[in-house]
Amino acid sequence: MRDLGTMLWKEVTELFGNRRFLRVFAIAVLAFGILPTLSTAHHGASPQAAALVGLLRSVFVLFAVMVIVAQTAPDLVLHERVGHTLEYLLTTRLPEWAIFGAKVLTASAVGYVTALLSMGVQLVVVGILSGQGLHWLFLATPGGRIIVLGLSAGLALYTSVVGTFVALRVGDQRGAYLVTMLAVGILIVPFLLGWLHVSLTTAWLGRAAEVFGAFVLVVAFIGLRLFRRHMLVLYLQE
Amino acid sequence: MASQAVECRGLSRRFGNRLAVSDLDFTVPSGSVFGFLGPNGAGKTTTVRMMVGMLRPSAGEVRVLGLDPISEGDAVRSRCGVMLDNVGLYDRLSAIQNLEFAARIAPMDPRVRRDRVEAALHRVDLWDRRDDHVSGFSKGMRQKLGLARALIADPDLLILDEPTAGLDPASIVMVRELLVSLAAESGRTIFICTHLLAEAQKMCDQVAIIQAGRLVAVGDPNNLGQTGVNTVRMTLSGLVPEKVPGLALPPSVELECLGGGEWRAAITAPEGIEPLVAALVHAHVGVRAVVPEQVSLEEEYLRLVGGEGNA
Repeated sequence: MRDLGTMLWKEVTELFGNRRFLRVFAIAVLAFGILPTLSTAHHGASPQAAALVGLLRSVFVLFAVMVIVAQTAPDLVLHERVGHTLEYLLTTRLPEWAIFGAKVLTASAVGYVTALLSMGVQLVVVGILSGQGLHWLFLATPGGRIIVLGLSAGLALYTSVVGTFVALRVGDQRGAYLVTMLAVGILIVPFLLGWLHVSLTTAWLGRAAEVFGAFVLVVAFIGLRLFRRHMLVLYLQE
Repeated sequence: MASQAVECRGLSRRFGNRLAVSDLDFTVPSGSVFGFLGPNGAGKTTTVRMMVGMLRPSAGEVRVLGLDPISEGDAVRSRCGVMLDNVGLYDRLSAIQNLEFAARIAPMDPRVRRDRVEAALHRVDLWDRRDDHVSGFSKGMRQKLGLARALIADPDLLILDEPTAGLDPASIVMVRELLVSLAAESGRTIFICTHLLAEAQKMCDQVAIIQAGRLVAVGDPNNLGQTGVNTVRMTLSGLVPEKVPGLALPPSVELECLGGGEWRAAITAPEGIEPLVAALVHAHVGVRAVVPEQVSLEEEYLRLVGGEGNA
């Protein structure tokens, strides 16, 4: 865990030294906090409509997570590839799981904090516009909380894991971003094909969050197995 | 500590059909400065990568500090300080943050870490720039910071790929003296891949030359070209080329006229120069000067790698 802490220290210090990232982060928080609120403000008249719009805005939060993490996770890897620091890390005693675990956790945290701050901005904007609060944001119900707090964390973790490992094979930012978004998009295919049906019950959402969490762990494990030290060097040589 | 810091036995690495490193056999004694020379693409970096467990050998084995870099990779890497040809510093971090990160990896007590980082920055003359982001550093400053980072954990084995590349002459001397003193003071082994043959000749106790993945020479950099033949340059008077009455040269001597009374003698006999000088004196040839000729590392290197130029 000490190695993970060392890598996290480095990642966080680097992020705070990266003005471009801080600008993008602030813009994302404001954009995903203000725009969906304004664009759907007039739909909250009836209780049913308010619930539906609340759900829609919660989905916006998930979207914010996806976009910001799909940018951040590959960037954390790609700037190490370009600057040859990844090769330096491989010469140190740091284990691979600490190197990539820190990147995954950092990108996930960035996504999750974006989600929470976006929701905070939404609450403020909604409070100003209509005096509504948690109900409007779908946060008053357990199901709503699972979506905006649980699934956004799971999605942040999944996008981060995929983005980190994709960036190790795809050497450019745009390519890594697109592949990561595609990997996230694949998640809705079982629903589109009718293999799975969405339910907004607490039990279904809770189960979905558990299964999704397990799936993310499996993906992370496979990633670590594929990107062992001696394989990474070969990828970096390509 | 193992008597050999590095031992390669039949070390080979293949990438697809290409044999990057083939059957390397050499040892690096503990506490020595070892130069690893060869043209670009000769297999130096691949060898270094195998030494620190970043690559698995296709055949043969390498042991570093008595350990197997694959099965005991963490132990090997924790005792090695590595500076690769691309130094790999974090541009978004300051100089002091780069070193602090390396010290945290080591790991070490926070107070020791602070002292080590400060001492390392002073040692490479970067203390005044400690809070500057590395993105604004020159190539030479980056090399020096990379060297400081490699040294931060006080490693038993220092592996340096082009440590003086991009440095101005004064900095080259500074780095060379630092490396020699490090090796002498603490018994630390230093393994250097370098293009600067003159520097290698001054710094290294031993050198190895690698060409197309194969080892072509290993030994003392000052005697690498010695193949049992002693060459001397002589200034003689009274010796007519091709025919000198009464001069009976020993069979182990080949004499070559360079003009202007200058001659070169190649002697293969173990007794050396003495029979030749005796024969010359006996034939009444005036021997004014006899100077042993040394083959420089550069000359020997160019002979071995076929004049490809860059090491």
